[in-house]
Amino acid sequence: MLNEKILVLVYNLIMQYKNNPLSPHLQIYKWQISSLLSIAHRIVGVINIIAITAICIWSILLLLGTESYQPINYFLNTFFGKFIAVSLCWTFSFHILNELRHLIWDLGYGFDLKVSKITGVLAIIGSFVLTILFYLIGKNIF
Amino acid sequence: MHSSTKKWLFTKISSLILLPLMVWFIINFVSIYDENHSEVALFFTQQPSKIMFSIFIVFAFFFSALTISEIFEDYIQDEKTKNVANKLLNIFAITIPLITILGIFNLTV
Repeated sequence: MLNEKILVLVYNLIMQYKNNPLSPHLQIYKWQISSLLSIAHRIVGVINIIAITAICIWSILLLLGTESYQPINYFLNTFFGKFIAVSLCWTFSFHILNELRHLIWDLGYGFDLKVSKITGVLAIIGSFVLTILFYLIGKNIF
Repeated sequence: MHSSTKKWLFTKISSLILLPLMVWFIINFVSIYDENHSEVALFFTQQPSKIMFSIFIVFAFFFSALTISEIFEDYIQDEKTKNVANKLLNIFAITIPLITILGIFNLTV
């Protein structure tokens, strides 16, 4: 009888553990600048490496010659092609600024809650400013 | 030195090297992406952009292999699946830059 009760208790504990939500409980916690930037940093990092892989393939496709490159050139000159270029400017800008923030933390600075929030907001606003700067410098508009 | 400390140091050093390379690459990418074949090929064949781009992709894939393995560590619970995912990631991080570098070194304008 006691054994049966222990077995039921263990079973219930296992089932309870299995049904627990996994960390970081995104659906429970209130969004904050720190969590938003942490998740965005990971997502943007993955997007960047996919983009760099695409750029590697793009450079290899150059080997096919001028004729074969024409459809790629046409695509990159469309609105969607320009949108990809500007989006890449933003993902690179955001990753650069947030990585700088991480490196400053590694040196032991910027851990204060208020400072951390300010640097977070600066990384977001700065990424848009840097996007415009990169695009304008790249296009020789300055 | 503990392997985790080594991994952390490699991640930080590669990220520090990557920052200026990312700035250099994105500015150059914006200036060439909509150009014709000869202009784009010129960028990938002339010095110092050929060497700079090669260094950039080597560090980018090295850094991504280290950081994406951390994502696997957090979200993949099964050890076997995690090991397979990490091995595939490492193969990907070696072959893509290698093929690309071989490709651009064989590219002519």
